[in-house]
Amino acid sequence: MTDLAIETTELVKRFGPRTAVDHLNLLVEQGEIYGLVGPSGAGKTTVMRIVCGLTKPTAGVARLLGHAMPAERRAVEAWLGYMPQERAVYRDLTVVENLLFFGQIYGLSRAAVAERTRELLDWTRMSDHAQQRADRLSGGEKQRLSLACSLVHDPKMLVLDEPTIGLDPGLRQEFWDRFHALNQGGRTIVLSTHYIHEAERCGRVGLMARGNLVAEGRAEDLKARVAASSGIPSPDMDQVFLVLTRAATAQGDKP
Amino acid sequence: MNVRRILAVSERVLRQLRHDRRVLAFMLIVPSLAMILFGYSFSGEIRGIRLGVLDEDKTDLTATILESLQSNEKFHVTILPPGSDPERLLREGYQAVVRIPPKFTSLYYAHFAMGVATSAQGTLDLALDESDPQIAAAVQMGIADALMDLGEGGPVHVETRKLYGVEVRFIDSFAPAIMGMVVAFICTVLTLLSVVREKVDGTFARVWVSPVRRAEFILGYILAFGLIALVQSVLVLSIGKGVFGIVINGSLGWAFAGVILFAIGSVGLGTLLSALAETESQAILFFPLVLLPSVLLSGMMWPLQAIPALLRPLSYIVPLTYSNRLLRAVMVKGLAPWQEPFGFAGVLVFVLLTIVLASVALRQSAGERD
Repeated sequence: MTDLAIETTELVKRFGPRTAVDHLNLLVEQGEIYGLVGPSGAGKTTVMRIVCGLTKPTAGVARLLGHAMPAERRAVEAWLGYMPQERAVYRDLTVVENLLFFGQIYGLSRAAVAERTRELLDWTRMSDHAQQRADRLSGGEKQRLSLACSLVHDPKMLVLDEPTIGLDPGLRQEFWDRFHALNQGGRTIVLSTHYIHEAERCGRVGLMARGNLVAEGRAEDLKARVAASSGIPSPDMDQVFLVLTRAATAQGDKP
Repeated sequence: MNVRRILAVSERVLRQLRHDRRVLAFMLIVPSLAMILFGYSFSGEIRGIRLGVLDEDKTDLTATILESLQSNEKFHVTILPPGSDPERLLREGYQAVVRIPPKFTSLYYAHFAMGVATSAQGTLDLALDESDPQIAAAVQMGIADALMDLGEGGPVHVETRKLYGVEVRFIDSFAPAIMGMVVAFICTVLTLLSVVREKVDGTFARVWVSPVRRAEFILGYILAFGLIALVQSVLVLSIGKGVFGIVINGSLGWAFAGVILFAIGSVGLGTLLSALAETESQAILFFPLVLLPSVLLSGMMWPLQAIPALLRPLSYIVPLTYSNRLLRAVMVKGLAPWQEPFGFAGVLVFVLLTIVLASVALRQSAGERD
């Protein structure tokens, strides 16, 4: 099996006249925490949906763990844990019932799901809410349940679409601690965020704008690059994003 | 195809319904209410029409006619004093006034004695309020019945041989239609809402990323709603039997099998329609689209022959038309499904078509959403 978790080649997705993904070439290695960072509408969700086999690309190729998506998605479905942006839990089921369903569809027995549920509820500090209906949970609790649902079948590859959106800073830190713990446990994590400064918590980031990467690398390297080129002594991630996006636009506009 | 995953989907759908008390109530109360309301409203029994009788002949024969009218529950009969004016009585609230003129009896018998050679004939004078055609028709029928009761003497004797169950009342053939309609409607709308909600909440995306296949997803829904359809059918038939004393001439097993088959098609239809709605409020707009043609065009309330020729082709694209034929054949006529090929084939085509289209629709909604 390839060492690449994700590989896209000249990936294009158009919705009518709108180009959501514009000739994207993306490489993510297994074992990384890779962040797709950029404002809303940059194309992050579309890239993730294509990579997970939910959306067909208009042109180009997307591979997940070496398999073309969506054509070969059956080969990787057991390895993949996907957390959609909408939280994606059954609001009229309890926490435990949600985990039971998502466990069962991955072939886990009732006993195995029960065991896994205990672990996950403990890990997400949701044990007290086990019998609560999802629609009665707070936003943060719902997000924790959503993460737990993506993990119930113990996937080795996680694709998380805006997993920290709407969380307060304390909870966001808690989520990041969990992502790092998962990563240390050997899982590859690809996540998207429009909180630019969260780039610093990823191993590598791809800064996205208008359907393509404007820059890619470790956060410190990007900062150093911007410090050198723009003269800003110690730029924060927002400044890094702005400078690099402008630079990319200027380059793109050249004849 | 994995049975475990199918069962997981069914279990989940049933658990969701169990948690939502309003939906649960909707599923159980609506069929009961429909049977009771439709049953009472359309039992077809008109009672207590105000009928005045003015007997100016007063013979044994007219007494027999009078007795016959009085024993008919359709009529509330008032014997009018001599000299009453029928037209004035109609204006005062009588719905019909029958005047039996003098010499009615002698003319009646003379007619028989002389056969068709005479034009003299016993004639009743009926003043009728025609403003309500149904009541007017009931009056005319009641009077004809009374004359038939004269028996031997009647000019024409119609001997009726009744096929498919003796004394089938309107309600007996109405119950299968109510059962089909209610079960189909609830299965369609609940599937529709449930699938649209999966799209809105994003659980759909999670399911499609998992090993669940479209066929498993649909079968899971079918299993859950098949079970619900069975419970609802038992409910409707129990009320039909307990409250209205409906007669079921055929096998209950076939009846339930027929309803469940139709429910399967309805789950397919709900899934298919879900592709056309992006939000739950859009989905609700489909409800009348599902319900109205079923009620008006399926032959549920009135026979297809009563539907204007212009609209009648539409009746044949309304699934309930076939279900009605099938369920009536099975329940009223006591036939096996294949002995009613029109209804049976129609329901089968409905099931196959909606399931195939639902599968295509799911591919669309799963694959191409932004």
